Amino acid sequence: MSRRPGAGYYTATAAKPGGGMPLIDKNDMCPVCKMMRYLNPDMEFLINPECYHSMCTGCVNRLFNDGPNQCPYAGCHKTLRRKGFKSAFFGDLAVEREVDLRRRVNSVFNQVEDDFETLRDYNNYLQMVEDLTFDLVNGTETKRREAEAQLLQWEMDHKPDIERNRKAGREAEEQTRRRLQAEQELARQRRIAAIQEQEEEKLALVRNREAVLDSMATGGQRVQLKKRGGVKAADITTAAAASAGSSLLPGSLDVGKLSIRGLKEKKKTAAPEGPYDPFGGYDFVPSRYKVHSGLGHPLLERFEHDRAHVTGGYSLEEFTARAMFEAFAGLGVFIEDEKEVGIGLSAGEVTGMAAGIAATGHVMDPR
Amino acid sequence: MATEDARYRESSQFKQWSFSHSQLAALREDTNAKAVSSISERLSERLVSGTGAPSGATSLPPSNNASNANTPDPEGSSPSLPEFLTAAEESTLVTFYVSELLRAGDHAEFSDEIKATAAVLFRRFYITNSIMTYPPQEMLIVALFFGCKAEGAFPRISDFLKTFQREHPEEILAGEFLLFRGVRFSIDVKHPFRALRGAAMELRSLGDIDSKRIDDAERRARQILRFSPLMTDAYFHYTPSQIMMAALSLADRGLAERLIQATFHYVQPQTESEANTPAASGTSGGDGQRSKPPTEDQATIVGSYIRDRVLGTVEACRDLLHKELPERREHWADRKMYKAHILPLRKKLNKCHDPDRWNLVELQRQTREQAAKKADSDDEGAGGGGRKSVDDDAAVFGGDLSGPAATKRRKVGQVKLEDPFGGAL
Repeated sequence: MSRRPGAGYYTATAAKPGGGMPLIDKNDMCPVCKMMRYLNPDMEFLINPECYHSMCTGCVNRLFNDGPNQCPYAGCHKTLRRKGFKSAFFGDLAVEREVDLRRRVNSVFNQVEDDFETLRDYNNYLQMVEDLTFDLVNGTETKRREAEAQLLQWEMDHKPDIERNRKAGREAEEQTRRRLQAEQELARQRRIAAIQEQEEEKLALVRNREAVLDSMATGGQRVQLKKRGGVKAADITTAAAASAGSSLLPGSLDVGKLSIRGLKEKKKTAAPEGPYDPFGGYDFVPSRYKVHSGLGHPLLERFEHDRAHVTGGYSLEEFTARAMFEAFAGLGVFIEDEKEVGIGLSAGEVTGMAAGIAATGHVMDPR
Repeated sequence: MATEDARYRESSQFKQWSFSHSQLAALREDTNAKAVSSISERLSERLVSGTGAPSGATSLPPSNNASNANTPDPEGSSPSLPEFLTAAEESTLVTFYVSELLRAGDHAEFSDEIKATAAVLFRRFYITNSIMTYPPQEMLIVALFFGCKAEGAFPRISDFLKTFQREHPEEILAGEFLLFRGVRFSIDVKHPFRALRGAAMELRSLGDIDSKRIDDAERRARQILRFSPLMTDAYFHYTPSQIMMAALSLADRGLAERLIQATFHYVQPQTESEANTPAASGTSGGDGQRSKPPTEDQATIVGSYIRDRVLGTVEACRDLLHKELPERREHWADRKMYKAHILPLRKKLNKCHDPDRWNLVELQRQTREQAAKKADSDDEGAGGGGRKSVDDDAAVFGGDLSGPAATKRRKVGQVKLEDPFGGAL
């Protein structure tokens, strides 16, 4: 603990600042009437910001009901009032006191950055306020008094400013509060709308089902004789009729709109896409030749039944197919023309065109 | 469009390594011009600095003869610059080295596919790289090693060294990535060998052809396929099936024409039944038509118009292959021919090759050192590091052959950053 011991006026008692302060949670005994928490589980401790001496509610009621009285702590001569007592927010009363002091200082020194000409001025001001606050909280007796005097002086001097700033602060607070409220309201309305939508959807579903059931009940005799496809068509027509009929009702317009919206979104996700082609669009059916059983070669026949080849999975058909492919693949590829003018054209055909332009697109530039 | 053709058009062989005649010629000229300018720059740098000038380069007399047009820098250090190979000479040399490659493949007893793949990769490599930049004698061994791997055979590098009497595995491995990058990472080469077998099957199934005739034709065609398309630019100008048809046509013209006629049999029908009867009686297997009703499409897939075009293309390919029939094997191995035509070119090459890139092992070592240095400087947070890596990406992914990357390359080239892979020529 770096705090200076026993200098503050409120520490005139045996209790020392900081660690010396009676901690409410730590000792469950009222220091005035020596009542134990054990005997009264509901016991509550109150403090008065005058001197921050804690005592139980019973003592407060007993001592201060009849008007102002002296603090019961030995050596503390503060006069306390009943309405000054409150329950401490912080367990550590030193913190409680500092917070109270800071609140008071802030209510007096409530200038904002806009009130200053430069940032430096504002920072100096903040520094000054902080120094003063420190003196108030931790200073010696004299320093504390000085600070208190300064504070009062400032309050007297700048009363209109303080009042104005306080008002502005309140207004800002009010605005924030209002904005938050508006947001909450909006969220609430959205929730309500979503719930309504859900309910309407449910309702529409039930209605549709009823319509279908009705149509089946009325057209049942006739439908049973028809084939499956016929049933479906009948269903569709009756459903359409039902929806057309219901659209006359005032409330049903929303229902129809809802279902259409859902449909649109689903359509978008399903892009039209053919089956997957592992060969990337290539056709492996030969167009110039045919692989048939009549193809053979005397030099290859011995491999057909050769154990060393067949065991490893050698298939003469595979070789035949490959040989035939190689014999005919590229037979119609005319490099001379295609490299000059492009695939599928002959040089003679494009001489009329601007051949130079056409060629640059396909000829590989060697540089 | 026929489904088979559509599938072939998806291959890297069609997309990246098929060119028309004029495109290929332009590409070669371009590669040659770039190589000449960069090599002359490097050579003159060496001459100026006076350190390690290639032997013979200084003693060479001034090249004031007819092919002086090749030296792009006549005003500066041209008197001491050697005479450079032309694109046509380069092409001849590449063909010679392909024949060497095939002989080496025979010596090592590789399969036809391996030899063919290696040869095609070798040819592809020397389209975008000049033979003056990287040593062909080394690259052909690299191509063979790489071809083995591309075809699913994985020889041990030690066995490989023994076969070709080399000492260090680095000699082969150093050029491997170079080749890989040079072929723009497309290592699948589609060959006509299996196609030939398919054609033989199809011919056999026609039923009315003597099987001995088919066997003979197939044997001869295979012999041609082993040699002729690899010695020419057939793989760049024609599809494997067209090459196969051309080879078959060289072996037995009647059979090839019969096969093409049977395939493109479609005639404009008067009625449906009339259209189907000739197909059913004449060609029992070669048509996919009977499964489908005749449509407009059929005319474009197996119609007479496309048949004529195919015949024309096969004929052109046949002419190309005819220049390098398998009998020319001896011609290429002939000492007299070598002395008369190849030796002068090789002598020329010895003088005008790239001084920085000729030793692959050394080149790889430098590349790695630079990479290590770059990593260090990157740790220090050098600003140029990021830009440089962009350039590397363009180099690695063959961006030098596409438009937007080329502009980027040019931009980076102005900044004069060193490319660890050697960059474009």
